[in-house]
Amino acid sequence: MSQTPDNADLSMEEQLVAYLDGELEAEEARRIEELLSNNPQLRQTLQQLDHTWELLDELDTQEVAENFTQTTLEMVAVAAADDVRQSLAEAPRRRRRRWALVGGSLLAAGLVGFLAVIFLLPNRNPNRQLVEDLPLLLEVEQYRQIDDFHLLQMLREEGLFVEEDVDQAEQEVDAAQEDGSGR
Amino acid sequence: MGTALVVSESSARRYALRDPDVRLMLQVRDDDAAAFEELVLRYQARLVTVLEHLVGNRDQAEDLTQDVFLRVYRARKRYVAGAKFSTWLYTIANNVASNAIRSRMRHPEVTLQPRDSGPMGARPLDVMLQASSGQMPARQLDKAEMREIVRLALEALSERQRMAVLLNKFENMSYADIGETMGLTPQAVKSLLSRARGNLREVLQPYFQHGERPTIEGHNPGSV
Repeated sequence: MSQTPDNADLSMEEQLVAYLDGELEAEEARRIEELLSNNPQLRQTLQQLDHTWELLDELDTQEVAENFTQTTLEMVAVAAADDVRQSLAEAPRRRRRRWALVGGSLLAAGLVGFLAVIFLLPNRNPNRQLVEDLPLLLEVEQYRQIDDFHLLQMLREEGLFVEEDVDQAEQEVDAAQEDGSGR
Repeated sequence: MGTALVVSESSARRYALRDPDVRLMLQVRDDDAAAFEELVLRYQARLVTVLEHLVGNRDQAEDLTQDVFLRVYRARKRYVAGAKFSTWLYTIANNVASNAIRSRMRHPEVTLQPRDSGPMGARPLDVMLQASSGQMPARQLDKAEMREIVRLALEALSERQRMAVLLNKFENMSYADIGETMGLTPQAVKSLLSRARGNLREVLQPYFQHGERPTIEGHNPGSV
């Protein structure tokens, strides 16, 4: 892999830092040590990196005041108490919301069930059946006088009821004509 | 238990055995106040140190440390045992510090407040002048000046480089742990630390070789 000199320097510096931090695999560490033994400039870079890193030891590591722990714990206790208070204050509202949710869900489920019964199982409605059977019920006394269903069917096929229908149609036409001439 | 655990119970037990702080945090999760106090005692000074070097202000570092502990307490029920408690803690600290730094950048007037907690107190230049006038032992000046120079060099790093350096130097974190804390891959941490240490060398080496004070203004602290 070809690298520009800057990238190669950067990559080597990365390897040197990782070497100082003990983050290289054994094989990589051995390769760096070999390079270091043959390259005084690389050794100098390594020493400078190491030296400046050690200088960070000069930075203060802080101690905290004796009452710091106490104030921290008190602050957390106050915050925890606030959390509990807030949670308790919100509890009735949460409960109301939960009940409203449950009620709404039940209502929706009931509505869906009702609609399913209406549309998917229409024959279960007894009134609907009655409405459909109304013409038959109106004439049921006449039908009862004829015992044989096949006889009715034969008479219909013979055209017995057609005549009645024609007569009725003629009467309707006559009535319409009389109504027209009367105007 | 209502907490959704990502790791298995056996893994959590293993982590707790390896890291006593994981054990303590699991007790905190079960509302053990004494365990929480123990964690505060163990980490408060370390957090103040790292946060002070990150935000550059002692009072703010203490406030942020307390904020970190408050967040730890509030997040206790969601805590999932990891390999190390400190990586979880410093992830929170990193977020808290980043928010504080961003907030300060949005409200730059805050930066006009005098630094109150540098190694040489409120006015490091005044201290140096006082020392050079013979009112302070020379040896103390050397030490204080060196500390100030190092602090300036650290401040010249970008926020991310500084955090990685502090975790590596003060918390002895591995690249993998730093990566977990900062949301980076170990390779990215390797590059970040390499650039950080290269920058430190560039700033500090001339001073310690030839006594040249570093030109921090010319340095680009925003570069990552």
